[in-house]
Amino acid sequence: MSLINYSSREINCKIVYYGPGLCGKTTNLQHIYSRVPQETRGKMISLATEMDRTLFFDFLPLELGQIRGFRTRFHLYTVPGQVYYNASRKLILKGVDGIVFVADSQIDRFDANVESLVNMHDNLAEHGLAAEKIPVVMQYNKRDLPRVVSVGDLERELNPQGSPFYEAVALRGTGVFDTLKLACKLVLKTLG
Amino acid sequence: MVKGNWALFEEDFWSINAILQTLMRSSSARSVMLIDKTGQLINSIGEPPGFDVTSFSSLAAADFAANAQLAEMVGEKDFATLVHQGQNDSLYLSMIANRVILVVLFDRKTSLGLVRLKARRAGDELLEVLNKLFDKLQYRNEEVIATPLGAEFAAEAESEIDSLFSD
Repeated sequence: MSLINYSSREINCKIVYYGPGLCGKTTNLQHIYSRVPQETRGKMISLATEMDRTLFFDFLPLELGQIRGFRTRFHLYTVPGQVYYNASRKLILKGVDGIVFVADSQIDRFDANVESLVNMHDNLAEHGLAAEKIPVVMQYNKRDLPRVVSVGDLERELNPQGSPFYEAVALRGTGVFDTLKLACKLVLKTLG
Repeated sequence: MVKGNWALFEEDFWSINAILQTLMRSSSARSVMLIDKTGQLINSIGEPPGFDVTSFSSLAAADFAANAQLAEMVGEKDFATLVHQGQNDSLYLSMIANRVILVVLFDRKTSLGLVRLKARRAGDELLEVLNKLFDKLQYRNEEVIATPLGAEFAAEAESEIDSLFSD
Protein backbone atom coordinates (compact mmCIF):
# COMPACT_ATOMS: atom_id res chain seq x y z
CA MET A 1 0.00 0.00 0.00
CA SER A 2 2.49 2.56 -1.18
CA LEU A 3 1.80 6.17 -0.43
CA ILE A 4 2.33 8.74 -3.18
CA ASN A 5 2.41 12.29 -1.89
CA TYR A 6 2.02 14.65 -4.84
CA SER A 7 2.52 17.70 -2.72
CA SER A 8 5.83 16.85 -1.11
CA ARG A 9 6.52 14.66 -4.16
CA GLU A 10 7.37 11.51 -2.25
CA ILE A 11 6.74 7.84 -2.83
CA ASN A 12 7.02 5.38 0.05
CA CYS A 13 6.91 1.61 -0.41
CA LYS A 14 7.01 -1.19 2.14
CA ILE A 15 8.92 -4.44 1.64
CA VAL A 16 8.65 -7.19 4.25
CA TYR A 17 11.20 -9.96 4.80
CA TYR A 18 9.27 -13.06 5.86
CA GLY A 19 10.43 -16.53 6.83
CA PRO A 20 10.93 -18.98 9.70
CA GLY A 21 12.90 -18.22 12.85
CA LEU A 22 16.68 -17.89 12.40
CA CYS A 23 16.49 -18.07 8.60
CA GLY A 24 18.48 -14.85 8.18
CA LYS A 25 15.96 -12.04 7.73
CA THR A 26 17.66 -9.70 10.16
CA THR A 27 21.05 -10.69 8.71
CA ASN A 28 19.81 -9.52 5.29
CA LEU A 29 18.91 -6.12 6.70
CA GLN A 30 22.15 -5.85 8.63
CA HIS A 31 24.15 -6.53 5.50
CA ILE A 32 22.19 -3.94 3.53
CA TYR A 33 22.65 -1.44 6.33
CA SER A 34 26.39 -2.01 6.41
CA ARG A 35 26.86 -1.62 2.66
CA VAL A 36 24.61 1.15 1.38
CA PRO A 37 25.92 4.73 1.42
CA GLN A 38 25.15 6.59 4.61
CA GLU A 39 22.99 9.18 2.83
CA THR A 40 20.84 6.39 1.41
CA ARG A 41 19.94 4.71 4.65
CA GLY A 42 18.11 5.86 7.72
CA LYS A 43 18.46 4.49 11.22
CA MET A 44 17.98 0.76 11.57
CA ILE A 45 15.62 -0.14 14.36
CA SER A 46 15.55 -3.61 15.90
CA LEU A 47 12.96 -4.51 18.46
CA ALA A 48 14.74 -7.62 19.67
CA THR A 49 15.01 -9.70 22.81
CA GLU A 50 18.20 -9.89 24.85
CA MET A 51 19.04 -13.00 22.88
CA ASP A 52 19.03 -10.98 19.64
CA ARG A 53 15.89 -12.67 18.41
CA THR A 54 13.48 -10.30 16.68
CA LEU A 55 10.58 -9.59 19.01
CA PHE A 56 8.42 -7.28 16.96
CA PHE A 57 10.27 -6.18 13.85
CA ASP A 58 13.44 -4.71 12.36
CA PHE A 59 13.03 -1.60 10.31
CA LEU A 60 15.39 -0.03 7.80
CA PRO A 61 14.42 2.93 5.62
CA LEU A 62 16.28 3.38 2.33
CA GLU A 63 16.11 6.42 0.13
CA LEU A 64 16.68 6.16 -3.61
CA GLY A 65 16.84 9.91 -4.06
CA GLN A 66 14.89 11.91 -6.62
CA ILE A 67 13.42 9.95 -9.47
CA ARG A 68 11.61 12.10 -11.99
CA GLY A 69 11.01 14.63 -9.27
CA PHE A 70 9.77 12.13 -6.67
CA ARG A 71 11.76 11.31 -3.55
CA THR A 72 11.45 7.55 -3.51
CA ARG A 73 11.85 5.53 -0.34
CA PHE A 74 11.69 1.89 0.55
CA HIS A 75 10.89 0.82 4.08
CA LEU A 76 12.28 -2.63 4.81
CA TYR A 77 10.75 -4.62 7.63
CA THR A 78 11.41 -8.09 8.98
CA VAL A 79 8.86 -10.13 10.89
CA PRO A 80 9.69 -12.16 13.98
CA GLY A 81 10.13 -15.70 12.73
CA GLN A 82 9.29 -17.66 15.83
CA VAL A 83 5.93 -19.38 15.62
CA TYR A 84 4.43 -17.80 18.74
CA TYR A 85 4.84 -14.22 17.53
CA ASN A 86 2.13 -14.50 14.91
CA ALA A 87 0.18 -11.47 16.10
CA SER A 88 3.24 -9.30 15.47
CA ARG A 89 3.83 -10.88 12.07
CA LYS A 90 0.31 -10.15 10.99
CA LEU A 91 0.68 -6.50 11.97
CA ILE A 92 3.86 -6.00 10.00
CA LEU A 93 2.22 -7.29 6.83
CA LYS A 94 -0.30 -4.47 6.95
CA GLY A 95 0.16 -2.31 3.86
CA VAL A 96 2.90 -4.47 2.36
CA ASP A 97 3.94 -3.73 -1.25
CA GLY A 98 6.43 -6.52 -1.77
CA ILE A 99 7.69 -9.60 0.06
CA VAL A 100 11.05 -11.33 0.28
CA PHE A 101 10.55 -14.85 1.57
CA VAL A 102 13.79 -16.02 3.14
CA ALA A 103 13.93 -19.80 3.30
CA ASP A 104 16.47 -21.71 5.39
CA SER A 105 18.05 -24.27 3.04
CA GLN A 106 19.05 -26.70 5.80
CA ILE A 107 17.35 -30.07 5.61
CA ASP A 108 16.14 -29.99 9.21
CA ARG A 109 14.54 -26.57 8.69
CA PHE A 110 12.54 -27.63 5.68
CA ASP A 111 9.26 -28.06 7.56
CA ALA A 112 9.75 -24.71 9.26
CA ASN A 113 9.90 -23.07 5.81
CA VAL A 114 6.69 -24.72 4.72
CA GLU A 115 4.96 -23.76 7.96
CA SER A 116 6.10 -20.15 7.63
CA LEU A 117 4.94 -19.94 4.03
CA VAL A 118 1.49 -21.28 4.90
CA ASN A 119 1.36 -18.82 7.77
CA MET A 120 2.27 -15.97 5.40
CA HIS A 121 -0.58 -16.84 3.05
CA ASP A 122 -3.00 -17.03 6.00
CA ASN A 123 -1.89 -13.67 7.35
CA LEU A 124 -2.06 -12.02 3.94
CA ALA A 125 -5.56 -13.39 3.47
CA GLU A 126 -6.58 -11.84 6.78
CA HIS A 127 -5.58 -8.46 5.36
CA GLY A 128 -7.58 -9.25 2.23
CA LEU A 129 -4.42 -9.77 0.19
CA ALA A 130 -3.35 -12.65 -2.03
CA ALA A 131 0.31 -13.55 -2.44
CA GLU A 132 -0.25 -13.88 -6.20
CA LYS A 133 -1.09 -10.18 -6.38
CA ILE A 134 2.00 -8.98 -4.50
CA PRO A 135 5.55 -9.14 -5.85
CA VAL A 136 7.38 -11.95 -4.04
CA VAL A 137 11.06 -12.81 -4.32
CA MET A 138 12.25 -16.10 -2.84
CA GLN A 139 15.67 -16.26 -1.24
CA TYR A 140 17.19 -19.66 -0.50
CA ASN A 141 19.61 -18.79 2.25
CA LYS A 142 22.50 -20.63 3.93
CA ARG A 143 23.58 -22.36 0.72
CA ASP A 144 27.09 -22.69 2.17
CA LEU A 145 26.03 -25.13 4.89
CA PRO A 146 26.69 -28.86 4.46
CA ARG A 147 23.26 -30.48 4.81
CA VAL A 148 21.00 -28.45 2.54
CA VAL A 149 17.95 -29.23 0.41
CA SER A 150 18.59 -28.96 -3.33
CA VAL A 151 17.34 -25.82 -5.03
CA GLY A 152 15.13 -27.97 -7.24
CA ASP A 153 13.36 -29.43 -4.22
CA LEU A 154 13.02 -26.02 -2.58
CA GLU A 155 11.54 -24.64 -5.76
CA ARG A 156 9.08 -27.47 -6.08
CA GLU A 157 7.87 -27.33 -2.50
CA LEU A 158 8.06 -23.65 -1.67
CA ASN A 159 7.60 -21.86 -4.96
CA PRO A 160 4.82 -23.37 -7.03
CA GLN A 161 3.90 -19.84 -8.11
CA GLY A 162 7.25 -19.57 -9.86
CA SER A 163 8.31 -16.34 -8.17
CA PRO A 164 11.89 -15.32 -8.99
CA PHE A 165 14.48 -16.72 -6.60
CA TYR A 166 18.08 -16.20 -5.52
CA GLU A 167 20.47 -18.45 -3.66
CA ALA A 168 22.12 -16.67 -0.78
CA VAL A 169 24.60 -16.73 2.04
CA ALA A 170 23.30 -13.69 3.89
CA LEU A 171 26.03 -13.78 6.52
CA ARG A 172 28.58 -13.12 3.79
CA GLY A 173 26.24 -10.90 1.80
CA THR A 174 25.95 -13.29 -1.15
CA GLY A 175 22.63 -12.80 -2.92
CA VAL A 176 21.41 -10.14 -0.48
CA PHE A 177 21.52 -7.20 -2.87
CA ASP A 178 20.28 -9.26 -5.84
CA THR A 179 17.21 -10.11 -3.79
CA LEU A 180 16.66 -6.55 -2.61
CA LYS A 181 17.14 -5.04 -6.05
CA LEU A 182 14.66 -7.34 -7.66
CA ALA A 183 12.09 -6.84 -4.92
CA CYS A 184 12.39 -3.05 -5.26
CA LYS A 185 12.07 -3.18 -9.04
CA LEU A 186 9.04 -5.42 -8.94
CA VAL A 187 7.35 -3.12 -6.43
CA LEU A 188 8.05 -0.05 -8.56
CA LYS A 189 6.59 -1.83 -11.58
CA THR A 190 3.30 -2.19 -9.73
CA LEU A 191 3.23 1.60 -9.33
CA GLY A 192 4.04 2.41 -12.93
CA MET B 1 -12.07 3.26 2.26
CA VAL B 2 -9.38 3.09 -0.34
CA LYS B 3 -7.55 -0.16 -0.62
CA GLY B 4 -4.16 -0.53 -2.20
CA ASN B 5 -2.08 2.47 -3.17
CA TRP B 6 -3.22 5.85 -2.17
CA ALA B 7 -2.10 9.30 -3.08
CA LEU B 8 -2.17 12.73 -1.56
CA PHE B 9 -2.67 15.74 -3.82
CA GLU B 10 -1.48 19.30 -3.49
CA GLU B 11 -4.83 20.81 -2.46
CA ASP B 12 -5.49 18.10 0.14
CA PHE B 13 -1.99 18.46 1.49
CA TRP B 14 -2.50 22.17 2.11
CA SER B 15 -5.91 21.63 3.74
CA ILE B 16 -4.31 19.07 6.05
CA ASN B 17 -1.39 21.36 6.71
CA ALA B 18 -3.71 24.20 7.77
CA ILE B 19 -5.58 21.92 10.18
CA LEU B 20 -2.33 20.72 11.75
CA GLN B 21 -1.04 24.29 12.10
CA THR B 22 -4.21 25.37 13.88
CA LEU B 23 -4.04 22.36 16.17
CA MET B 24 -0.46 23.07 17.09
CA ARG B 25 -1.05 26.72 17.84
CA SER B 26 -4.30 26.29 19.75
CA SER B 27 -2.99 23.43 21.90
CA SER B 28 0.50 24.94 22.45
CA ALA B 29 2.02 21.67 21.33
CA ARG B 30 5.66 21.29 20.30
CA SER B 31 4.93 19.51 17.07
CA VAL B 32 2.21 17.68 15.25
CA MET B 33 2.63 14.78 12.84
CA LEU B 34 0.36 12.89 10.54
CA ILE B 35 1.40 9.31 9.80
CA ASP B 36 -0.10 6.72 7.49
CA LYS B 37 -1.13 3.69 9.51
CA THR B 38 1.41 1.56 7.71
CA GLY B 39 4.13 3.75 9.24
CA GLN B 40 4.89 6.34 6.59
CA LEU B 41 5.14 9.98 7.54
CA ILE B 42 2.69 12.23 5.69
CA ASN B 43 3.44 15.59 7.26
CA SER B 44 5.20 17.03 10.26
CA ILE B 45 4.96 20.59 11.50
CA GLY B 46 6.21 22.59 14.42
CA GLU B 47 9.57 22.34 16.12
CA PRO B 48 11.83 20.16 14.03
CA PRO B 49 11.95 17.08 16.26
CA GLY B 50 15.36 16.11 17.58
CA PHE B 51 14.76 12.52 16.55
CA ASP B 52 14.53 10.50 13.35
CA VAL B 53 10.95 11.06 12.16
CA THR B 54 11.01 8.11 9.77
CA SER B 55 11.80 5.69 12.59
CA PHE B 56 9.37 7.50 14.83
CA SER B 57 6.60 7.01 12.25
CA SER B 58 7.19 3.30 11.90
CA LEU B 59 7.21 2.84 15.68
CA ALA B 60 4.07 4.95 16.16
CA ALA B 61 2.24 2.82 13.60
CA ALA B 62 3.47 -0.36 15.28
CA ASP B 63 2.41 1.01 18.64
CA PHE B 64 -1.08 1.60 17.30
CA ALA B 65 -1.27 -1.76 15.61
CA ALA B 66 -0.18 -3.59 18.77
CA ASN B 67 -2.68 -1.67 20.87
CA ALA B 68 -5.46 -2.46 18.43
CA GLN B 69 -4.76 -6.15 19.01
CA LEU B 70 -4.77 -5.61 22.76
CA ALA B 71 -8.12 -3.83 22.43
CA GLU B 72 -9.54 -6.75 20.54
CA MET B 73 -8.38 -9.15 23.23
CA VAL B 74 -10.19 -7.25 25.94
CA GLY B 75 -13.32 -7.08 23.80
CA GLU B 76 -12.96 -3.50 22.50
CA LYS B 77 -13.26 -2.63 18.82
CA ASP B 78 -10.12 -0.53 19.07
CA PHE B 79 -8.35 2.02 21.25
CA ALA B 80 -8.98 5.12 19.19
CA THR B 81 -6.49 7.21 21.13
CA LEU B 82 -3.26 6.49 22.98
CA VAL B 83 -1.44 8.69 25.43
CA HIS B 84 2.16 8.26 26.49
CA GLN B 85 3.00 10.48 29.40
CA GLY B 86 6.61 11.30 30.18
CA GLN B 87 8.34 13.43 32.78
CA ASN B 88 8.72 16.35 30.38
CA ASP B 89 7.34 15.38 27.00
CA SER B 90 4.21 13.43 26.20
CA LEU B 91 2.53 12.01 23.14
CA TYR B 92 -1.10 11.97 22.16
CA LEU B 93 -1.95 9.64 19.27
CA SER B 94 -5.29 9.26 17.59
CA MET B 95 -6.45 7.13 14.65
CA ILE B 96 -8.49 8.93 11.99
CA ALA B 97 -10.63 7.35 9.29
CA ASN B 98 -8.95 4.06 10.15
CA ARG B 99 -6.17 5.22 7.84
CA VAL B 100 -3.94 7.86 9.39
CA ILE B 101 -2.55 8.55 12.84
CA LEU B 102 -2.49 12.05 14.26
CA VAL B 103 0.38 12.53 16.70
CA VAL B 104 0.75 15.50 19.03
CA LEU B 105 4.04 15.96 20.87
CA PHE B 106 3.63 18.31 23.82
CA ASP B 107 5.44 19.34 26.97
CA ARG B 108 4.50 20.87 30.33
CA LYS B 109 3.61 24.21 28.76
CA THR B 110 0.19 22.73 28.01
CA SER B 111 -2.12 20.06 29.41
CA LEU B 112 -3.40 16.73 28.19
CA GLY B 113 -6.96 18.02 28.53
CA LEU B 114 -6.37 20.90 26.15
CA VAL B 115 -4.45 18.73 23.69
CA ARG B 116 -7.21 16.15 23.70
CA LEU B 117 -9.91 18.77 23.14
CA LYS B 118 -8.11 20.44 20.25
CA ALA B 119 -6.97 17.17 18.73
CA ARG B 120 -10.55 15.89 18.64
CA ARG B 121 -11.64 18.99 16.80
CA ALA B 122 -8.75 18.68 14.36
CA GLY B 123 -9.58 14.98 13.97
CA ASP B 124 -13.12 15.81 12.81
CA GLU B 125 -11.78 18.28 10.26
CA LEU B 126 -9.16 15.84 9.02
CA LEU B 127 -11.80 13.16 8.67
CA GLU B 128 -13.74 15.42 6.35
CA VAL B 129 -10.70 16.16 4.17
CA LEU B 130 -9.67 12.51 4.08
CA ASN B 131 -13.13 11.26 3.20
CA LYS B 132 -13.24 13.66 0.26
CA LEU B 133 -9.78 12.49 -0.78
CA PHE B 134 -10.79 8.83 -0.58
CA ASP B 135 -13.91 9.50 -2.66
CA LYS B 136 -11.77 11.22 -5.24
CA LEU B 137 -9.28 8.34 -5.24
CA GLN B 138 -11.96 5.73 -5.59
CA TYR B 139 -13.38 7.64 -8.50
CA ARG B 140 -10.11 8.22 -10.29
CA ASN B 141 -7.93 5.53 -8.80
CA GLU B 142 -6.48 3.93 -11.90
CA GLU B 143 -6.03 7.13 -13.85
CA VAL B 144 -4.49 8.92 -10.88
CA ILE B 145 -2.04 6.25 -9.90
CA ALA B 146 -0.91 5.43 -13.41
CA THR B 147 -0.45 8.84 -14.98
CA PRO B 148 2.56 10.54 -13.42
CA LEU B 149 4.82 7.55 -12.93
CA GLY B 150 4.77 5.29 -15.95
CA ALA B 151 7.55 3.51 -17.81
CA GLU B 152 10.15 6.28 -17.67
CA PHE B 153 9.86 6.47 -13.93
CA ALA B 154 10.36 2.70 -13.63
CA ALA B 155 13.39 2.78 -15.93
CA GLU B 156 15.03 5.60 -14.05
CA ALA B 157 14.24 3.99 -10.70
CA GLU B 158 15.77 0.72 -11.86
CA SER B 159 19.08 2.30 -12.77
CA GLU B 160 19.12 4.13 -9.44
CA ILE B 161 18.46 0.86 -7.62
CA ASP B 162 21.29 -0.81 -9.52
CA SER B 163 23.79 1.88 -8.68
CA LEU B 164 22.86 2.30 -5.01
CA PHE B 165 22.27 -1.26 -3.93
CA SER B 166 25.42 -3.19 -4.61
CA ASP B 167 28.22 -4.79 -2.65
